[in-house]
Amino acid sequence: MSKKLTKVVELTGQYAGLIAFAIFTTFPFLWALSVALSEDPSNIWLFPRSFLPTDPGWAWFVRVFNEIQFMTYLKNSAWISLCTIVGTVLVSVLAGYPLARLRFPGRGLIFIAIIGTMMLPSEVAIIPNFVTLKHLGDWSTALLGFKLTGLNTYSGVFLPTVAGAFGIFLMKQAFEQIPQDLIDAARVDGAKELQILWRVMVPVSAPSIAALAIFTLVNAWNEFIWTGIVIQDKAMLPLSVGMFNDLTGPFAVSTSMVMAGIVLSVVPVLIFFALTQRYFISGLDGAVK
Amino acid sequence: MASVKLKNIKKNYTKDVTVIKGVSLDIQDGEFVVFVGPSGCGKSTMLRMIAGLEDITEGELLIGDTIANDIHASKRGIAMVFQSYALYPHMTVAENMGFALKLAGIPKAEVEQRVKHAGEILQITHLLDRKPKALSGGQRQRVAIGRAIVREPKVFLFDEPLSNLDAALRLQMRVELSKLHQELKTTMIYVTHDQVEAMTLADRIVVFNAGVIQQLGSPLELYENPSNLFVAGFLGSPKMNLLDASVVSGDAKGATVRLPKGIAVKAAVDAGRAKANDRVTLGIRPEHIQLASEADQNAIPARVDLIEHLGDHVLAYIEIPGVNEIMSMKLPGHSTDLKYGDAIRVVFPEAECMLFDAEGLAFKRLR
Repeated sequence: MSKKLTKVVELTGQYAGLIAFAIFTTFPFLWALSVALSEDPSNIWLFPRSFLPTDPGWAWFVRVFNEIQFMTYLKNSAWISLCTIVGTVLVSVLAGYPLARLRFPGRGLIFIAIIGTMMLPSEVAIIPNFVTLKHLGDWSTALLGFKLTGLNTYSGVFLPTVAGAFGIFLMKQAFEQIPQDLIDAARVDGAKELQILWRVMVPVSAPSIAALAIFTLVNAWNEFIWTGIVIQDKAMLPLSVGMFNDLTGPFAVSTSMVMAGIVLSVVPVLIFFALTQRYFISGLDGAVK
Repeated sequence: MASVKLKNIKKNYTKDVTVIKGVSLDIQDGEFVVFVGPSGCGKSTMLRMIAGLEDITEGELLIGDTIANDIHASKRGIAMVFQSYALYPHMTVAENMGFALKLAGIPKAEVEQRVKHAGEILQITHLLDRKPKALSGGQRQRVAIGRAIVREPKVFLFDEPLSNLDAALRLQMRVELSKLHQELKTTMIYVTHDQVEAMTLADRIVVFNAGVIQQLGSPLELYENPSNLFVAGFLGSPKMNLLDASVVSGDAKGATVRLPKGIAVKAAVDAGRAKANDRVTLGIRPEHIQLASEADQNAIPARVDLIEHLGDHVLAYIEIPGVNEIMSMKLPGHSTDLKYGDAIRVVFPEAECMLFDAEGLAFKRLR
């Protein structure tokens, strides 16, 4: 076989693999998109016909906006996700730095204890967190005269999730990869420990922080059970719970509308990913050597 | 500008691991001192202790007249250039250079002016808006030096700053560092394992080994009068030829030693403390071994093992019957008629031979 033919076969194989993988991962979304765009829902259960919109139009999207409080849910989702991301990044950075760079007794043990929590399913925490949150809410009402946190508050949704083992582990690993010389240079330049952290370590770790932000966003955006338990007020519900409550169940209006809602709820995450993905490229170029 | 005084400095990492074993040293104001030694000898640790990046276990460090043991790195009036450059990748060159001044709360206009001035000294003003990743290795090293200059420190510390550069750039930067020292006249302490850098840059060289200063002196002093076998072997390229020998006779005016197979060699050293049959080491630098003339009675027969032509000189590796070590000799560039296997006769000039006792300490040369 000639060299050129080998190359063609090789490339074809690679592309075929990549395309197959792309189809495999995107087909649920593509199906949802096609169903949402089909104003006539008669073909939506026919495979593969359903992948081509029948009588394409925006009718179902318009109905999502008109018939449920989509914008309210979207706003709530955005706010909860933003708070979760900020909180998670803050906690992970502040916990990851000392674990990676400072020497103190019990450091290894603390890290093992944090990692140990990854072994437990998140559902295990639901009841203790619910009880704690209820008491916190009662105490804050008693002490402050208003509900700072507790059941049916946004902070009640995101506070239990911000101190996660995954984020701390990710940031610890990121900080460990930063050359010691860079920290020493900052120290000689007169930076204090917190200045080293915020002005050198954090900017240099931007790719890891972006990765953490994206993972956190996806988790916070899709979070369903805990949010459903904590929030009782319909106007405070995020997309995941609000849309599920409104569009599914025995009185569900239509599959097409559910699909339109799903497509609309995925779009913000895709936009966020598009904006942050450039930070994935290494942040350390040119620092050393 | 300031002097640096080290008084019996020690460094322990654990109770049993001592890396610096009591170093005392006076570095004069404006002096260029080079710490040199093999990997792991403690020279970088010493520098980091002066910088304030490592704690001093015992002893006293004075920068100027101030005891600096417990002063924070940024308050010691030092600036450090790292082997890896350690530039902040998210900042431009100007921001990198001005970072320390900004942290110190110096007004923006003065920061800009000082960065510009340092940029002019190092000829990097056209790079000030670039990020480190858009710079070459040599440019990055200049920025690292610029970052040190803007702080107008009392003492510059260099930790193997040229190790990551290619040979040509290293030579160029070496010259520039030398010029910079002449221009700024600031105290500089420079760590390297490259003896050429040490020899060319230093006012004084400090040779370290195993956490102890082996010798301290001007480059030529160390080259010509090494105090012990370690220094003799460490400085010079190719390294000094060192041969086992035993004393035949020795007094304050000279010594005669015997190599294996009864070859006698004279050395112009004060061998008053040597006794007959003492085990000693004879040292002779490659450039001092000469080809003997026909008439020379004391010539030593040898055989050529390998010839290396280096343009300006020729390196000949020779074997003397009965002597285990292969010796190197440096000959002028036109001595090209030697070839592998040639039988030759060589002379060790008495005045150039050095002698070291069984403990490795040098006998004083008579010159």
